[in-house]
Amino acid sequence: MGEDISTYIEDIISNIGDETKREALEKEFKKFIEFGVPPDYAKRILLGKFAKDKKRKKLLELKGKESSVNLLCKVITINEKEITARGKSKKILYGLIGDESGVLPFTSWNTSISLEKGEVIEVKNAYAREWQGGVQVNFGERTVIEKVDEDRLPEISLEPKKCKIADLHNVFGPIEITVKVLDVSKKEVEVDGERREVFSGIVGDDTGKAQYTAWHDFNLKEGEVIKISGGYARSWKGIPQIVFDERCKVEKVDRDIEVCSRKLPIHKLVEMRGGIDVMVEGTVIEIKSGSGYIERCPDCNRPTINGECKVHGKVNGIPDLRIKMVVDDGSAGIGVIVGRELTERLINKSIDECRQMGRDKVMEILEKNLLTKRVLLKGNAIGDDFGTTLIAKEIEVLDVDLKGEALNLLQRLEEI
Amino acid sequence: MKRETAWRVFAGEYNESNRVIRGEGKKPSYVITPLGAKVNRLFIVGVLTDVEPLTEGNDFIRAHVSDPTGIYTLYSGQFQPEVTSTLLNSDIPSFVALVGKCRIFEPEEGVVYVSVRPEAVYQVDGDARDRWILETCKSTMERIEALREAKKLSQPNAHDLRKLGYSRALSEGVIEAVKYYKEIDLDKYISMVEEALRYLVPEETEIKEEESAQEVSDEIENLVLGIIKELEGEEGALWDSIVEKCVQAGLDKSTAEEAIAALLDKGLVYEPVLGTIKTT
Repeated sequence: MGEDISTYIEDIISNIGDETKREALEKEFKKFIEFGVPPDYAKRILLGKFAKDKKRKKLLELKGKESSVNLLCKVITINEKEITARGKSKKILYGLIGDESGVLPFTSWNTSISLEKGEVIEVKNAYAREWQGGVQVNFGERTVIEKVDEDRLPEISLEPKKCKIADLHNVFGPIEITVKVLDVSKKEVEVDGERREVFSGIVGDDTGKAQYTAWHDFNLKEGEVIKISGGYARSWKGIPQIVFDERCKVEKVDRDIEVCSRKLPIHKLVEMRGGIDVMVEGTVIEIKSGSGYIERCPDCNRPTINGECKVHGKVNGIPDLRIKMVVDDGSAGIGVIVGRELTERLINKSIDECRQMGRDKVMEILEKNLLTKRVLLKGNAIGDDFGTTLIAKEIEVLDVDLKGEALNLLQRLEEI
Repeated sequence: MKRETAWRVFAGEYNESNRVIRGEGKKPSYVITPLGAKVNRLFIVGVLTDVEPLTEGNDFIRAHVSDPTGIYTLYSGQFQPEVTSTLLNSDIPSFVALVGKCRIFEPEEGVVYVSVRPEAVYQVDGDARDRWILETCKSTMERIEALREAKKLSQPNAHDLRKLGYSRALSEGVIEAVKYYKEIDLDKYISMVEEALRYLVPEETEIKEEESAQEVSDEIENLVLGIIKELEGEEGALWDSIVEKCVQAGLDKSTAEEAIAALLDKGLVYEPVLGTIKTT
């Protein structure tokens, strides 16, 4: 019995995160047990009681699994979104909150909560979840929010967080990043009836590449290295973006940095959802039907079936060649699309030769060249709810040095 | 619904699994292997050893695929007609690669039989099988390491494992394995990986090992022979005193006895009276 109690006590202590309460808790728990209250029920009651006055957590202490946390934070940005849940539409709030430890995204599912930008709030009974590889704070039906005096919060950390491009999918709030500008293009857009210039393009560092949008003319030039302080990270289908404007500090840096893409394990890419010029290695485990020689409708580009387009009927199809396959390294899998030119080079056959050979023969060659082979891929990857797809810019079928790698593993095995 | 990872798990590990996480509603189910792979889909390359129709119309079959550590059982039915017919028309034995889903049979609580329902099967060559063995060794070693790391944590949890770079699925699987399987015999899996790797490395290293083993036993025999010479005198040395002296010299009892037996076999010593050893 004694041992049983300790696991319950352990659970409660780890939940409220306050070791000093142990003695009082044990005493009360034992009392409940003496009265014959089932321990599960006693735990629930005491958890509720002790959680009420538990210490607040700092945002960056959250791990994404907490079921009941108390916070003190400032609303940094706030947006409204309409969603449909169980057939009913309801308005939810989302945005960023910050405290002295840092900034996290939040979502409020509780429609009775109203928040405004800049408010300092005391939050009770919020919960944290993992979301797209980071931690998100959630306000639910049982969450209680109270506006408090602004000076209750020591000082909110809006200090830009130093990071690299590979970290961008995981940071919220302002960033400080040093990157090389790889290209610049200018366009004019209309925002709220006002014409504004925006500059955009690609930047890179030694961990990868990202898109950027600058809402101010910083006189950026291709090839120069800049330090951006106060910009924000965004992401579109997993492609990282850096957004900055005249409120940010942009300095030219007088040293060159190497721009390159690190080879990522595939689970990492899937977690980030996507990226620009990413590099992965894995095994081709499936070549999808519809790969190989196809013809496309000249009007809508859809592949034709028996010379007919689904929309435009009988058409004079335009020949094309492509591969749709699944590459998996044992940690995760992604879809890969290889376009015409790369495919021609890979199988050493021109599209005309492929047309003459016929579809089945082309498919056979693809399977022979790729299935179960290890490939190195480079390209842009985009992610959605169904996973990540990489559009190949480079593909290489690797020769595996079986003996050498096996000997290496044998050596590592001895060190395990 | 994201694409499920095609795990590389040896038959020797997969078949030992008896922990299942049942998916509710549209959520998928997972098999948790002893080393913490959280598997819904597998990629396997091995030798097709037999295909057996289970119904008259050949629309439900059982097949077996072997790898260096064990044998996977496959079932394929009318919903995978292509797979079923590819398997029925394959040479036996031949190398095959397959992507398949876990099939779980739980006749009673706590008793789990796992097999594989192939989604696609291809004919491949021996190189493909060797590449797969290598990959699967790598994956298995990663799991062994992750499991070790998890046990080092004061309170094993997936969050801290992920910080070390392991994927979410592996971290969750390893924590589940630590909780469920309790005493995992890691040495068994380490030697399983070692055996599989030896498969890929041509004999030369094995010979080296035999040679070095030979050197070691020569050394021991010389030591024992020296002890016998020391003790024998005119009458020969008593078996028990030789062994005792050997143990004092740092050998264990069975090694000492083996060495004496080897010396007898080689004719370097003989037994004039039972229990007494003398050099020739």
